[in-house]
Amino acid sequence: MKKLHFDYSMQIDYSENVSTCNYTIKCVPQITARQIPHDIEIALVPPSRYNLGYDGLKNRQLYGKNDQPHKMFNFRISGNVDVGLSDYEEVEDSNLSMVFKHPHGLVIPGPSIKSYYDSLEIDKNSDAYSLAVNVMNRLHEDFCYKPNTTTLDTTAESAFQQGHGVCQDFAHIYITLMHLTGLPARYVVGLIVGEGASHAWVEVLINGKWYGFDPTNNKKVFDEHIKLGVGRDASDCMINRGIMHGGGLHTQTINVKVIEIE
Amino acid sequence: MSRLKLLDSRETVNELLARYGVKFGIYKNNTFHEQLFPFDAIPRVIEADEFEYLEKGLKQRVVALNLFLKDIYSKKQIVKDGVVPEDFIFASSGYMIECEGVSPIKDIYSHISGIDLVKGKDNNWYILEDNLRVPSGASYPMIARELCRRSSPETFLDNKIEDNRDYAKLLRRTMDNVNVGGHAVILTPGRYNAAYFEHSYLAEQTGAHLVNGSELTVEDDMLYFITADGKKERVGVVYRRISDEYLDPMNFNPESLIGIPHIYDVFRKGNVALMNAPGNGVADDKGIYYFVPKMIKYYLGEEPILSNAPTYLPFYKEDYDYVIKNFDNLVLKDVAEAGGYGVVFGSKMTKEQKADFLELLKNEPRRFIAQEVIDFQDLDIIDNGEQVPRKADLRAFVLMADEPLVWKSGLTRFSRNPDSFIVNSSQGGGFKDTWVLSR
Repeated sequence: MKKLHFDYSMQIDYSENVSTCNYTIKCVPQITARQIPHDIEIALVPPSRYNLGYDGLKNRQLYGKNDQPHKMFNFRISGNVDVGLSDYEEVEDSNLSMVFKHPHGLVIPGPSIKSYYDSLEIDKNSDAYSLAVNVMNRLHEDFCYKPNTTTLDTTAESAFQQGHGVCQDFAHIYITLMHLTGLPARYVVGLIVGEGASHAWVEVLINGKWYGFDPTNNKKVFDEHIKLGVGRDASDCMINRGIMHGGGLHTQTINVKVIEIE
Repeated sequence: MSRLKLLDSRETVNELLARYGVKFGIYKNNTFHEQLFPFDAIPRVIEADEFEYLEKGLKQRVVALNLFLKDIYSKKQIVKDGVVPEDFIFASSGYMIECEGVSPIKDIYSHISGIDLVKGKDNNWYILEDNLRVPSGASYPMIARELCRRSSPETFLDNKIEDNRDYAKLLRRTMDNVNVGGHAVILTPGRYNAAYFEHSYLAEQTGAHLVNGSELTVEDDMLYFITADGKKERVGVVYRRISDEYLDPMNFNPESLIGIPHIYDVFRKGNVALMNAPGNGVADDKGIYYFVPKMIKYYLGEEPILSNAPTYLPFYKEDYDYVIKNFDNLVLKDVAEAGGYGVVFGSKMTKEQKADFLELLKNEPRRFIAQEVIDFQDLDIIDNGEQVPRKADLRAFVLMADEPLVWKSGLTRFSRNPDSFIVNSSQGGGFKDTWVLSR
């Protein structure tokens, strides 16, 4: 087990006043068998009343409206999380598991991913866990990390065709490959030690347990990752979503710090 | 005598309908036309005992569909038990993950269901389609009846016909049943919507406020109506005439300008009723239609009273083979399309079209259903002064209030083209009143 301290802040600066802004933020660490958050602090500038709830996938969400004119919006959440308490999570809601077996949105297999999967020289009849590890090893070799070459809407298939992308693309392609093996797999958005932005990885359902795999880093998820939300793909669990009236041009700055304490 | 007088009233009624603005918007060649929805004065007449039978069957079907929706967005038992394959749920565009684990007030998902039926030449009724999202059309026979009564009052004295002007009462009862405290409102996308006439007419008839998205606001997990003088008053039930994806830009399509941000979050917390509930598309696509008789047996333990048109699912090998063998006798429908779009008749395809279609069917068998072409009964209409037969269907309205209610009328739509089986108003058809006899 490790104790991690995290600090996530997202700021949007506008060139003109925003008259109204609605926001939904899914950035509260979940309580799972692997991680337990505590001492969570949330701050919004300018301050506004918000409500807490869950989305359809049981991700924690915080949402509200800011109808005072403002030129800056800042959201900050910090706290401590005990991680590495388990290397898997029991299925918390078996009714939802089957949702993660099906191609959807950005994780629909296309011809290039299918033929890649067919060409993989790994033992496809090995046990599910080894299969998941082997596919991760191969994907990590065959796909390159290269920022600013894909967008939030890039599909697994088109990222794979161009051969490079970021953690979101690694995760999408890996989910698609897991679906081809027949295993349910889901997208995870979260934070990781030493990285200045949010991160993405994948959980695969093996014998009733969700195991985390991080294909970007070729690592099993254990005591460096803080999980914020899950989805069929990235769009199900975007950290922030907002609509505003006015504002002109805007720039968004995200700062993330995750360190080990004690 | 009175019947003739009623027929003479057609012109008067059509003029009145035009004056009242009873119009229907249609898309043709990518442009929007607003056109009158032509009324034909010869009513469809349904005998009392025949309607009683329809009523039983319709209630049974809608009760089962509501149970199905509740099951899909919670336990998914019908999928776990292998009655409906996973593919038909989770790969369907009508399935909405946002609706998982959300319980609508009193577990009602489809408050207003528009069930389309046809009567075959064999005198049997067949269900063609369930519409559980935002079914429209009830206002047309309501207003036509009102106008006919005005222009030919004797007709309604001489015939024992169920009064269909009580639809507004049934609708209000349906709204009141789920109201969690506050105003009842009808939410319209605005006057350019195809069914705007209906929205304003139903608001007037039910006494609910007609509002657009900018007149509603969410604060602290509650929904408010902003009055003309700027006050905020709580809303307890919304009969929304905006489709799911445009209802809430924070939960569904972020591009929507006509929705209300966070309205679905208020619904999730149980602080407002939305009718119909979002997510119903998973129960009314053409692929799921095949499974409705199985649902009735599964949830209610009863035999279905009303039959589907004989339908094949190429997803199943056996059905696929049947479809290939009997291609020319079947009508093929794309499950993702509605409103008469994506419907093709095997017999009307050219050789090339058929080859292309078979290739598509082979690659995407789940995307299509195939049905026997039902030879349905024609109804007479007056066309250029002559009485001629045309294909017609019936949209029956089933409302889920404290108990299921079937409106004793319905929208009878007919095709104006003598060679067409497609009666949808979006394809330029016309409508008739539907008389249910009271004895």
